[in-house]
Amino acid sequence: MRILVLGTSSDAGKTVCCAMICRYLSKRGMDPVPFKAFNLSLNSYATKDGGEIGIGQAFQAWACGVEPETDMNPVLLKPSGNGKIQAVIAGKPFSDIGADRSTYQAAAREEIPKAYSRLASAHGCVICEGSGSPAELNLMQHDLANTGLMRMIGVPAVLVGDIERGGVFAAIYGTWRLIPDDVRPLVRGFFINRFRGEPSILREGIEKVEELTGMRCLGVLPYLPLRFPEEDSLSQSEGRMEGEDPRQAFMANVDTLLEAAEASGFDFEALIRMSDRGSSAGGDPQGPHVGRRLGVHGHRPAVQKEDEGVRRAAGRAHGVLYRRSRGYLHGPVLKQDARHGAPIPCGLFMIRPDTVNYPGAMVDASLPSVERRGTGWREEDPG
Amino acid sequence: MDCIKKKVDEELKRGWIGPDLKCDYHPCHFTGQDCTFCYCPFYPCGDEDLGNMLTGKRGNEVWACSDCLFIHREEVCRFVMDEVARLGITEAGDPRFRDIFLDAKKRFYRKGRALMVVGATSDAGKSITVAAICRILHRKGYLVAPFKSQNMSLNAKATRMGTEIAMAQTVQAKAAGLKTPDSHMNPILLKPKKDTVSQVIVCGKPFADYDVESYYGEFVPGPGRTIVRENVAFLKGRYDFVIMEGAGSPAEINIYDRDIANMGAAVEADADVILVVNVEWGGAFAYALGTVELIPELDRSRIKGVIFNNIRGDPERFRPGIAEFEKQCGVPVIGLVPHADVILPSEDSEALRGMRRKGDGKCLVGVVKYPRIANFTDLDPLFLEDVSVVFVEQASDLDGVDAVVLPGTKNTVGDMMWMEERGIADRIRSLKGKVPVAGICGGYQMMGRTLDDSDGLESGSPRIIDGLGFLDMTTKFGEYKKRVVNSDGTMLIGDGGEISGYELHMGMSEVNEEPLFEITNNQDRGPVKEGAVRDSEMIYGTYLHGIFDKKPFRSYFLSRIVHDGKHVDTTDVRDYDDILEENIEKLADVFEESLDMGAIMRLLGVSE
Repeated sequence: MRILVLGTSSDAGKTVCCAMICRYLSKRGMDPVPFKAFNLSLNSYATKDGGEIGIGQAFQAWACGVEPETDMNPVLLKPSGNGKIQAVIAGKPFSDIGADRSTYQAAAREEIPKAYSRLASAHGCVICEGSGSPAELNLMQHDLANTGLMRMIGVPAVLVGDIERGGVFAAIYGTWRLIPDDVRPLVRGFFINRFRGEPSILREGIEKVEELTGMRCLGVLPYLPLRFPEEDSLSQSEGRMEGEDPRQAFMANVDTLLEAAEASGFDFEALIRMSDRGSSAGGDPQGPHVGRRLGVHGHRPAVQKEDEGVRRAAGRAHGVLYRRSRGYLHGPVLKQDARHGAPIPCGLFMIRPDTVNYPGAMVDASLPSVERRGTGWREEDPG
Repeated sequence: MDCIKKKVDEELKRGWIGPDLKCDYHPCHFTGQDCTFCYCPFYPCGDEDLGNMLTGKRGNEVWACSDCLFIHREEVCRFVMDEVARLGITEAGDPRFRDIFLDAKKRFYRKGRALMVVGATSDAGKSITVAAICRILHRKGYLVAPFKSQNMSLNAKATRMGTEIAMAQTVQAKAAGLKTPDSHMNPILLKPKKDTVSQVIVCGKPFADYDVESYYGEFVPGPGRTIVRENVAFLKGRYDFVIMEGAGSPAEINIYDRDIANMGAAVEADADVILVVNVEWGGAFAYALGTVELIPELDRSRIKGVIFNNIRGDPERFRPGIAEFEKQCGVPVIGLVPHADVILPSEDSEALRGMRRKGDGKCLVGVVKYPRIANFTDLDPLFLEDVSVVFVEQASDLDGVDAVVLPGTKNTVGDMMWMEERGIADRIRSLKGKVPVAGICGGYQMMGRTLDDSDGLESGSPRIIDGLGFLDMTTKFGEYKKRVVNSDGTMLIGDGGEISGYELHMGMSEVNEEPLFEITNNQDRGPVKEGAVRDSEMIYGTYLHGIFDKKPFRSYFLSRIVHDGKHVDTTDVRDYDDILEENIEKLADVFEESLDMGAIMRLLGVSE
């Protein structure tokens, strides 16, 4: 499995969200590893073998439960003030970048696919992080981390947009629009970060963007007053890092974010489906999963007979869309968790409406076959 | 009416004089105004384009000139005087003035044109773009007014008319050379009280509290749209140009039909639109294209130009992308504006982060940053001084401070309780008499003995709590009534000196202390004492916002701050107003150089 997380701007939350995805997959036992082809950052980390990588990748590695390696960030640019930039390739200082960038670029283009291959052959999943925005028209030619990477290794991508500043729909749609034709089909999904308030108010905007682009919304992450190590000067995160040890503090914050993501209905399973799975790349992101046993991390899967009102309310409150696709109805299974007020998803189901008491049916996806239980949910009619 | 007649007689005798720089009040309307007719020879003109009838206090009807500036335009004054000479008119009230008026109106009166600036995001630079354009047009001799239909901000200012508008619009009015901005320029102001609830100020007066749903569900489709329409029309009737500012992004498609802040306002004003994008965070082309394309087609055709703003380094490195962008988007790029290193009042609480330091900054000033801090523009002058300002959010942030400032707040009682919880209140109590402490408005209220919210109006539930106990003072939050007043006066301590500020608060206090200021511009009552001071204990409290702007009080307070025997260097303290004026000029210079002014003047209907 491999996926690239692109951002509509700097500081959209790519680093932290990748760490969150790494943590999720690690807890699922899927052996993830992070990868950022190209990083422009002042804050670096010294790996055990004496190489230098961006600090974000070190934190992401720990979220994966692995040791940071230079392969995880093969090209690092460090601005050293007064216009100078030092290039670090494969963890070692390469040169200062002057007006002529061609030497460094050639070396970078050689190293990136190699580093990626080494990681991909040694691990189950590679979670790639983009750099800045993929839609910088004046920089696209030399891009290494976004569209450049997509061309190099054909990795599918999702787009994250920060809603705190406003204009997130424009940013997501506009970014998708400006990504070159040849790689645009690889951009399969998007999600929104740092939202405050009631997510249901975003529904129309999300639907419109999905319609216009064919991408699918994976979720809306809430704003959390957590502080993560700042990758570059543009980050303006508030909040505190708990505890003395930055690694410990970071992991605690990632876990908090992951919990909040799951509580908000973030569709990790759809994300996994969107990514390639090893050599048999591709496959329909909305492919059938009937009867597949879906592991549910951390929570004991519970079948509940909930009352219809609760399910409907939950469905709306989380802005979750139950989609109709090729005769099947897709949606999350929601379970009542005593810690969270509202029901949270713990699996996915897909049922054929003619096989159940339509429109009400609820499914426990952890069972080997589709079974009907109690009353259920109501389809959101997209039309 | 007789006093007017007498004045006009004198004016006719005096002849054309242009701006009266000798007058104490000059300029009372706008810089560069023509003062030939301080009293208007056409009064009452009865023309609804320029004024309106008001019912006076005693039931009588009075003609109100309502911000009419027609008689202060140079071309009008010259024309009137020429006609007066030609026709041999010597007395006010001469019936031929009627014909002169009609003639002058025909020749010189035109309804203004509106131009709107929207931003792809918040902090795109809309506000400074509007200010810059206002100043550029003012320099060219035009009468310009800023306008923002709906502003969400905790930094509001009291106008001379006793109304409340956003600080940003007063800065833009200053850029336009206007002396008396009023609520027409910001008819809807939202002041957030809690996460989803705001106090909505309409035409400068508190209207009601709304939450997000009811605001968009009831207020906007109801009174909202009409308010925008009427106020834009008012300004278009009096100014050559109305430069409008949007709010947030115009492409929030989930609430598009309920947006009166952006394209909705442009439609009401029939304005062309310019889109500003801040390139600092990257993705500028995407934000620009996405914004334009997500706006429904009919409104989209109003967008006539894109400005890429806040470019660091050489703006020309953007060039390669521009051609491709224009091809994809179909809208011309009319400005690549570099980062303008200017000092302007803080727009939002992003400014209150970390530590602000200038000069040696050895003296440490702790400013308490409560959750509901308001009017933090009060602190801006401090950032320019030889101190380090630290924002206090927990007791340990007060370690080693040499002075404490308690700024204004939207919820005095709630924030006082927050300070108690965090131990900040006790820390400040322990600093009494050791370091100078200044409290403004809500902060001033906190310095008293008691905060009486027994009606629950301030904090939601009835309670009476202790203040810091620095002053013999009780504050009661009795009615849902707001005091909105613009004040000038003098300082009663030290060497005295001029002060000026404005009050904006609920809650009234009974104070039993030595006053700090004397307000002299009180029309009804004569000089009035204000504020409280215990100089020997270095305790200063006042209701006046903006109190650090003028030199005397700022210098005095700074002079009381000591660190390791070292005093703050106050040789360079200047009137903040002057600093602001300089920076507005600088801003306008940067924009005038980087904008395609030809394109903008064409959008304004001016062929130069």
